[in-house]
Amino acid sequence: MTFAFLLHQTICGALAAVGFGVLFNIGFRSLPWCAASGALALAVRTCCYSQYHWNLEASSFAAALIVGAAVQILRTRADISQNALDVVGCIPMVPGSFAAKAILGLFALTSIDTAHATETLVTAVQYTLRVMFTIGAIGTGLAIPSLLLRVRVSR
Amino acid sequence: MDVKDKLINDEVSSGPALEPMAMVALDAGRMLMEAGASANSIDAIVAKFARGLGADRVDLRIGYASLAITIGIGPNGITQTRAELTRLAAKTPRHSTWVMAVAVGLACAAFGRLLKVDWSGTGPVFVAAMIGQLVRRDLLGRHVNVFICATIVSFIASVLGGLGAFFAHSDSITTAMIASILLLVPGVPSVNAQSDILEGHPTLGSARAVTVAVILIFVAVGLWLGQVLLSHFGIQL
Repeated sequence: MTFAFLLHQTICGALAAVGFGVLFNIGFRSLPWCAASGALALAVRTCCYSQYHWNLEASSFAAALIVGAAVQILRTRADISQNALDVVGCIPMVPGSFAAKAILGLFALTSIDTAHATETLVTAVQYTLRVMFTIGAIGTGLAIPSLLLRVRVSR
Repeated sequence: MDVKDKLINDEVSSGPALEPMAMVALDAGRMLMEAGASANSIDAIVAKFARGLGADRVDLRIGYASLAITIGIGPNGITQTRAELTRLAAKTPRHSTWVMAVAVGLACAAFGRLLKVDWSGTGPVFVAAMIGQLVRRDLLGRHVNVFICATIVSFIASVLGGLGAFFAHSDSITTAMIASILLLVPGVPSVNAQSDILEGHPTLGSARAVTVAVILIFVAVGLWLGQVLLSHFGIQL
């Protein structure tokens, strides 16, 4: 992994998080926080994935865990809801393209040409499982710090 | 419909002072639900509202499309809070349509780079996602069903992204098509579905997860139609 590659991934993560931050109507003042959150997520994931050769699920879990913890620690500084901030940071890691490929793979199974049926099925199932496990990893990674560190609101 | 119009009308509710209090707190909860907030934050904020109005006891039941509240006594400044809530619904600044479209375009282009779309394919992804967001905004403004909307937008954005990448001589047409529709992936509900289940709201969480899955299927149908169309016209995907 070169530094340029890490920088590229980090910037893309920040841009994607900012774009989705605008979509969720987060104010301009808080957008730098979104950028930081997305950049941190992608930096950690790229390090784990490309440098240490962890798999995608484990890398996403580590990234979500660190983003979740960072947001919990810094939450008083940023002027937006912590839930929005850590979710926005993790949005660039949601495996949307795998999900699309998984469903398209299942569609392809119904075509008349079944010469590569087994191959197609296995690929589609693999993509589906990766989507489920990656989303699961992100969700769990975000939930752990917020459940452990959150100050309980008394009712 | 404007957010403000949907607020429950005070005049409809009669009876003791408890009812308008519950209505105000419930309205706050509804706005949070519509924004997709997680069940725990809705619970905490609605409780805060009711307490601020003077309730001694607050119980909230959160469903996927329903909220039920039970509160105990103590009126205090209901009119004031009602006015504040109305003001909040009306005055919350929203990004303009174009700012949003450009931001979404940028986000999808960045996604495309993360998915290894080459540079010549990144421009078309930006434009396609931007147009996709404009179409989505327009369709949702016309109250088109969200699932149908997802298919239409996914079809338009993927065809535009694919065509653009083809004419830009990109080597990654398929990936460019996929990157153009990533604006439709329901990331927040998919993450919040899990935190809701983990925080003890399995019904809400699983309902959200099912919605996410169905939206993904409708998005994939649009992408699939787009691929069929492009390959019909001889574009090698």
